Amino acid sequence: MIEAVSFLPITLTVNGVEVTRVVEPRTLLADFVRDDLGLTGTKVSCRLQVCGACTVLVDDLPVSACTYLAVDADGADVRTVEGLSDGENLHPLQEAFVEKFALQCGFCTPGFLMMSKALATENPTADRAEIIEHLEGNICRCTGYRPIVEAVECALARMRKVPSE
Amino acid sequence: MLPRFDLLRPTTVAEAVGCLSEESVPYCGGTELLLAMRAGLYRPSALVDIKRVPELRGIRLRDGVLSIGAATSHRVVALDALVRGQLPMLATVEQGVGNARVRAQGSVGGNLCFAEPKSDLATALVAYEASVSLTSAGGTREVLVSELIQGAYFADKEPDELLVSIEIPLPGDHDAVYLKYQTMERPTVGVAVMNDRSGRRCRVVVGAVGEVPVVWEGTDPSEVVPDEIAELVDPVVDLTGSARYKRHVTAVYVRRALRALEGSHPS
Ligand SMILES: Cc1cc2nc3c(=O)[nH]c(=O)nc-3n(C[C@H](O)[C@H](O)[C@H](O)COP(=O)(O)OP(=O)(O)OC[C@H]3O[C@@H](n4cnc5c(N)ncnc54)[C@H](O)[C@@H]3O)c2cc1C
Ligand code: FES
Ligand code: FES
Repeated sequence: MIEAVSFLPITLTVNGVEVTRVVEPRTLLADFVRDDLGLTGTKVSCRLQVCGACTVLVDDLPVSACTYLAVDADGADVRTVEGLSDGENLHPLQEAFVEKFALQCGFCTPGFLMMSKALATENPTADRAEIIEHLEGNICRCTGYRPIVEAVECALARMRKVPSE
Repeated sequence: MLPRFDLLRPTTVAEAVGCLSEESVPYCGGTELLLAMRAGLYRPSALVDIKRVPELRGIRLRDGVLSIGAATSHRVVALDALVRGQLPMLATVEQGVGNARVRAQGSVGGNLCFAEPKSDLATALVAYEASVSLTSAGGTREVLVSELIQGAYFADKEPDELLVSIEIPLPGDHDAVYLKYQTMERPTVGVAVMNDRSGRRCRVVVGAVGEVPVVWEGTDPSEVVPDEIAELVDPVVDLTGSARYKRHVTAVYVRRALRALEGSHPS
């Protein structure tokens, strides 16, 4: 007989640091990283998996942390926008976002960055059309998207030249 | 915040089935279930996480039937070499579901069991005459996807039944296309055309417009009259359009799908 549990211990890696906590199954990954770990870079807006502001990577795959149970990240490698740079230098994606003015208010930016990071891992040679298709599930209310797509294009090109990043 | 619930984590189909009841429901990617719970539409006391059951994952080819485990994500189906090689239309459909996060999180079984009327997957599977395998403590039954999807958010499935796999009989010499029109997260209309040349059968399936996919059947694509198919559908009036508009886009997309079908076949 499988036991039903109301609390359970989880151990996961967040931005390279191992954390262990006891959580309720209903704890959402977005609330876990923001409230418990203080990583408030991950934003929450629609809570419908539509806007992408809450995007984080779980084992390199993008998920909507607003609708993802923390217990499902048990044993996984989670990366939030705080884990994108190495602590000293901006990640090429972040750099390109700054250069191309790919943000205004910045609320959508962590989501776009993490979504783009997923693309860089899965398809480093993505062309413009593929970038646009991949970012379809992210909403920006300020930029009109063109600078965002340009930034990602530019970052992917640079990352191809320096593959270690 | 979500309402409180308990979690169960079975690792075999037998264990999972043993956990199910009205109050204790299957939970896979949660892309529909968690939304419904957050909206207060649904309040199960426990979720049975089926993601740790290896039997529910993966894609296999056996005796001319492609079998897809219920917990397989859209992403995995879209990238799978067998699917791309044998059923390229299905790979295209899966690559177009929602967004990259929904594709990574959401499962094929969850898509069908939730019976959201604006499903691309259900439309494509009806075109392939696919069925599903449902298992409960009492045994296993096979149901055609066209019969599983009974109405909006209504799948013919008992609370103690688990969808284990989707079974797609591989067609012989065939062409298939899927076209959809979409302005929001989900399609306004999805049209699948399946032309099985070896069996001299042609099926046109229109989904998303009404509560359930509508099927037209004949022997050859030349018999299809797009305006007649637009009369067959029973549109649901919603934010994606009026009944008249939906019939109109149905005819347009059937016409375009037929043209794409011609283009996909060199002779
Ligand atoms: C923003 C957004 C956009 C989307 N766009 C599209 C689209 O364009 N086209 C499209 O086709 N779909 C679309 N979808 C739907 C998506 O495909 C489904 O949400 C997803 O596949 C559901 O799978 P899941 O594993 O998350 O299901 P869950 O949410 O875990 O479960 C859904 C329901 O099915 C039941 N269930 C799950 N697995 C089983 C099983 N094996 N046996 C029995 N019952 C089970 C659960 O109890 C629950 O009632 C979209 C969804 C979202 C959120
Ligand atoms: S807040 Fe998660 S997708 Fe919008
Ligand atoms: S920069 Fe303001 S929402 Fe994108």
